[in-house]
Amino acid sequence: MKRKFLSIVLASAMTLVAMTGCGNPDVATDPADMEMAAPEESGAAAPEVAADSADAIQNLINNTSGTVDLTLWTSEEDQEFTQKVLEDFKSLYPDVSFNITLGAESESTVKDTVLSDVEAAADVYTFAHDQINDLVNAGALQEIAKTYTFDVASANIDTSVEAASLGGKLYAYPMTADNGYFMFYDSSVIKDPSSLENMIADAKAANKKIAIQFNNGWYLYSFFKAVGLDATLNDDGKTNSCNWDAEGGTDVCQTILDLVNTGVVVNMDDGTTVTGIQDGVVCAAVNGIWNAQVAAEAWGDSYEAAKLPTVKIGDKDCQLSSYSGFKLVGVNPHSKNVGWAMLLAEYLTSEAVQTARFQARNLGPSNINAAASPEVQSDKAIAALAAQAPYSTPQVIGGNFWAPAETLGQILASGNPDGTDLQKLLNTAVEGITAPVSE
Amino acid sequence: MAGLEKTKKEKNFWEAVQEYFVELGKALAGGNITTKLSTVFMGLGHIFNYQYVKGILVFAIQALFVAYLFVTGIPNLSKFDTLGTVKREAVFDPLTLQNTVNDYDNSFMILLSSVSTIFIIILFVLFWIANIKNIYKIQKKRSLNKHVNSIKEDIKDLVGKKFHLTLLSLPVLGVILMNIIPILILIAVAFTNYDQNHMPPNELFTWIGFRNFVKLFGGSVSSSFGYAFRKVLNWTFVWAFLATFTTFIGGILMAQLINSTVIKYKRFWRSLFVISIAVPQFVTLLLVRNFFADSGIVNSICASCGITKFLQDMGLVSRSITYIPFLTSPNWAKFMIVMINIWVGIPYQMLIATGVLMNIPKDQIEAAKIDRASPFQIFRNITLPYILFIQGPALISDFVRNINNFGVIYLLTQDVYVTTDQALANAHAKEVDLLVTWLFRLTQEYYDYKMASVIGIIVFIICSVFTIISFTRVMAGDREETYQ
Repeated sequence: MKRKFLSIVLASAMTLVAMTGCGNPDVATDPADMEMAAPEESGAAAPEVAADSADAIQNLINNTSGTVDLTLWTSEEDQEFTQKVLEDFKSLYPDVSFNITLGAESESTVKDTVLSDVEAAADVYTFAHDQINDLVNAGALQEIAKTYTFDVASANIDTSVEAASLGGKLYAYPMTADNGYFMFYDSSVIKDPSSLENMIADAKAANKKIAIQFNNGWYLYSFFKAVGLDATLNDDGKTNSCNWDAEGGTDVCQTILDLVNTGVVVNMDDGTTVTGIQDGVVCAAVNGIWNAQVAAEAWGDSYEAAKLPTVKIGDKDCQLSSYSGFKLVGVNPHSKNVGWAMLLAEYLTSEAVQTARFQARNLGPSNINAAASPEVQSDKAIAALAAQAPYSTPQVIGGNFWAPAETLGQILASGNPDGTDLQKLLNTAVEGITAPVSE
Repeated sequence: MAGLEKTKKEKNFWEAVQEYFVELGKALAGGNITTKLSTVFMGLGHIFNYQYVKGILVFAIQALFVAYLFVTGIPNLSKFDTLGTVKREAVFDPLTLQNTVNDYDNSFMILLSSVSTIFIIILFVLFWIANIKNIYKIQKKRSLNKHVNSIKEDIKDLVGKKFHLTLLSLPVLGVILMNIIPILILIAVAFTNYDQNHMPPNELFTWIGFRNFVKLFGGSVSSSFGYAFRKVLNWTFVWAFLATFTTFIGGILMAQLINSTVIKYKRFWRSLFVISIAVPQFVTLLLVRNFFADSGIVNSICASCGITKFLQDMGLVSRSITYIPFLTSPNWAKFMIVMINIWVGIPYQMLIATGVLMNIPKDQIEAAKIDRASPFQIFRNITLPYILFIQGPALISDFVRNINNFGVIYLLTQDVYVTTDQALANAHAKEVDLLVTWLFRLTQEYYDYKMASVIGIIVFIICSVFTIISFTRVMAGDREETYQ
């Protein structure tokens, strides 16, 4: 999948550079114009959008009387950008009067708000893709049985579409493809970012630290996956499978213990990592794009980003894996205006808006054409994510994964203070991770 | 004495209940034909007695009740045994861009409406009984040619002689709506399987009997809930005790110190502490949490001046880490939480204690001084008993509040503290969790409403027991004279 994505990106970079510039949302003055403009916008996907989509939209416009009330939740940082985009959306349909309320909800925890009362949640909301299984199970996502202005499945990279689907059905619109983790480092300190052992030597010489958050299942996963041990969601969409306790698991634990023992690799959460970078204590971090900006400012020209390094586990050099992450736009099936909510979600994830989002907010597009633009390609963080892509999997895991994995990481990061047998640690963790979701 | 008094009171209560029904019996037996017909057509008695407005009002209430019963009451109550059987199904029409939704059951709404309906039925029955008695009373008055109140006089009564009824009705209604019904719902949910797999409106939940309680208390092999529950309950009590008494004693000592004659600029010191109250507690707590983070400012100071190393030599900090795990290892975190709570809690207690200290009868202290009692003796034998006497009830309610002290624990440990006890982790609990913070996490992050309800019931029972003790024992009315 990942390799396919890369080749698509590279291929389309050559051929479609010219087209991406045309995605500018020219204000269509009447619906007929819009129908013509829409297929063009999605470039290669044009044949998929049949005439009946246009009919359906016209139908919807005709059947809409009065004001269309919609609520949209996006992240705090996205508010200003989204406000502008909403105006463009409204002007696409001049015959319809919209009353769109924009609210701020963190993308990483929007599930908590939505699930506490699905019927009162926003009509359209953005969320990090790891919440998709809980949201679908709770009936908080409208299945996207049909798209109207462009073909979502073919316009976005395969992995993002995969992340937006559950059980073969598409439930959300991919918006960004940069929500995974990679490594960024201060190239004035770290000379060789390809192996963690070399990095440790460099950092030690400069008396600086490398930040990796072990007590978080999201990051801890990368070490186990590096030796082929996995944790995945079962088909029921709720429980997990995990074989971390299989052969090689204890080697992973020992490696982490050894790393922490060097005193150079330090278990740091997001907040501490940021302060560490600003204070000049941290010279490299395994983290995401949301903190890369801080590092870029702190390190200036010596800021570099790369794929995760290799690390010696057992007696082999293993490439660290990662979770890739996507931000998606979902539609609430309890919305009174499902049709308009779907069209709004389509617009928010269209190629033009994804390109504009990258320009305004530096967020990596999931749209194939938008991602192929030279500006996107030259962004260090996004390039590092692309380099990490072959070693990453979309994160889809049930809720029972987090607490046991967190505790396992915490025990290892604090040097296994009780000296518990490593195999026993893994057995208990796996028991918790794979536990049934309440009988 | 107290025992005797109690049985007397209880007897009174049962007698009152008996009387209540005897009166109803009399009214039904002795009523004339209109009174008897009023059992079915409720306003009839009033209308026959020329109380037209009242009659119409009563009829209106009856009509509303019957309408409610048929529109939402009975449909919901009839599903109360299963909590609904029809799952929500929506079909999307790609041409009209609309969802067609079937007529589905929402288990939670059924539960809520059923409980409300039962409540409304009880209220209506009470109203019905009162109405019959009232009509019977009027009938008797008429036969004796006594004056019968007009509607105007009745209304006048409600703001005059019976003003207490008017005044009480709103708070009582509030208590029923805001406290009693939610508590009943909470109790009901504890007997259902309302969790992540059964979330309305998309899924149904249903009754499962005592299974959740067995899961919590039984400590079966398949779940670590029992183990987690015992640990959390234990720490909840230890915490409530420590938090209450450390701040209480600390507050008294601080007030005593500032009150003592050696201290100058008393007002300045006092206001200094009041300023710390003026800063919202959660701001203080979040700041402190950052100070004591593993790579926070306190740790870098401790590391640079050798305290970390000293503690490592003492064996209080593991050698495999380079920081003091203030809020990240179980024992350190518990210690720090209590210490930080002392720090944020003392100013309040100090203010209260200052007020109490200022009211200590001076003659007793002077008498003690004449008897050459040492300051410690005065404190131990006069000041402390006096403060304990005055603040006893407050102390117990503080204890109850600390059992539910969500803020301090949650703000200091959320996102920072990671448990190293794998059995606790598998039950989504942490060593530093109180029952309430555990409950909060279960609902907020795992949507395990059924287990949260069970824990909620237990918290409720614990708190009620302590509150009842504080109201009956400590605040018994005759204690006023006991203090000498």
